[in-house]
Amino acid sequence: MSPIDQRLQEALDGERDPGDLPTDLRESYALLSAAAQMLKTMPSVSVASRVMAEIRQNPATVHSEGSARRLIGWLGGGRAVTVRLRPVWTLALAAGLAAVLLVPWSNSLPTPGVAQGIANFVGHFPGAQSVEVVGSFNDWSRGALALNDDDHDGIWHANAVLPAGPHEYMFVVDGERWVSDPLADRYVDDGFGAGQQNSLVIVRPVSAQP
Amino acid sequence: MSLRLVLALAVAGAPAALGAQTGNGSTRLAGRVPAAALPAIDSILAAAVAESLPTEPLVQKALEGSAKNIPVDRLVNGVRRGYLQLRQARAIVSRAVPGQAPPEGHVAAVAAALARGLSGPVVERLLTAAPNEPPGPALHAAADLVAHHFDPDSAADLLVDAHNKGLRGVRLLDVAMAADHELQRPGGRTPSEALAHVRAMLPNVRPGRP
Repeated sequence: MSPIDQRLQEALDGERDPGDLPTDLRESYALLSAAAQMLKTMPSVSVASRVMAEIRQNPATVHSEGSARRLIGWLGGGRAVTVRLRPVWTLALAAGLAAVLLVPWSNSLPTPGVAQGIANFVGHFPGAQSVEVVGSFNDWSRGALALNDDDHDGIWHANAVLPAGPHEYMFVVDGERWVSDPLADRYVDDGFGAGQQNSLVIVRPVSAQP
Repeated sequence: MSLRLVLALAVAGAPAALGAQTGNGSTRLAGRVPAAALPAIDSILAAAVAESLPTEPLVQKALEGSAKNIPVDRLVNGVRRGYLQLRQARAIVSRAVPGQAPPEGHVAAVAAALARGLSGPVVERLLTAAPNEPPGPALHAAADLVAHHFDPDSAADLLVDAHNKGLRGVRLLDVAMAADHELQRPGGRTPSEALAHVRAMLPNVRPGRP
């Protein structure tokens, strides 16, 4: 910012005759003097006072609009919404939300009985087209329990409600390759003489699950 | 429902009910087990029935071998091996729990433990310590410990201690899991140190995962 010319400052302070100023400074003096005069004559009004005055000038504007227009305005305009709920309604809302969130689970997996538990089967088989689990819990029948890889990351998984107790099983990959569960806690020789091992899961009854 | 209809349904259902009572499971094998293997497997099942051994493990073994397309000779050998394990198991149960007919559940659980590699004496010791409890969880807990290279006799000692301090059923599996966790703890414990540590914390072992 360039400092004001000393001669102009003296003229504005009344210490110098403005007529003595050069032409360019004389124009500046005229503009600054006019601005100073305007500030002197403007009433001092606070922002709040001006806003309230504006509101008072247009008190019927909102109410003069039609219902539809007001509804559109209400829907289109942003506004803060505060909802106050009694504690009992808060609990009811939470229960409803939980029910909505849990419904898909309960649809896909039946609720275990007292002597049943849930077994989780997970395997990493990148590139596989299908993976299923076959075991003593389904009479070693093919096609009874398929694993899913919905996000195609190669990790296949399935949950099943099974009778509590030990169950031997294997994965069948792409319908032909029998594979022990690499994440199983236990293995047992399948007894057919080729050294192949079944995986062993011990399903805990729901009553004993932590 | 008329009396005539009730009688008709009863007559129609009688053969199936009778078959279920007297059957040895061989009817479940028809159509699933290779025809060439069926006579030999049928005779094994008949022998098991005659000796009051449980047949379900043998039926499962036959179904498993068929699902895996195991050659007939190995399939039959696998079923026969299961039969011999059941006989051995029944002898162990008879010694450990004298004075009563060996429960089929006990015999099947002991046979499964033998298949997992537990020795007869360790199995018998665990059965003797808790003659009135279903033996499956204790036997699997012992087999878990042995699979993780704990000394079999020391593992049995720990499980008997756990039983004497009130742990039952799948909580005995938690004891084995706790010992394994101690073994894998950074800094390293020897197996005997791990067992001693778990014994000191009994019966307060952390519940395991489902």
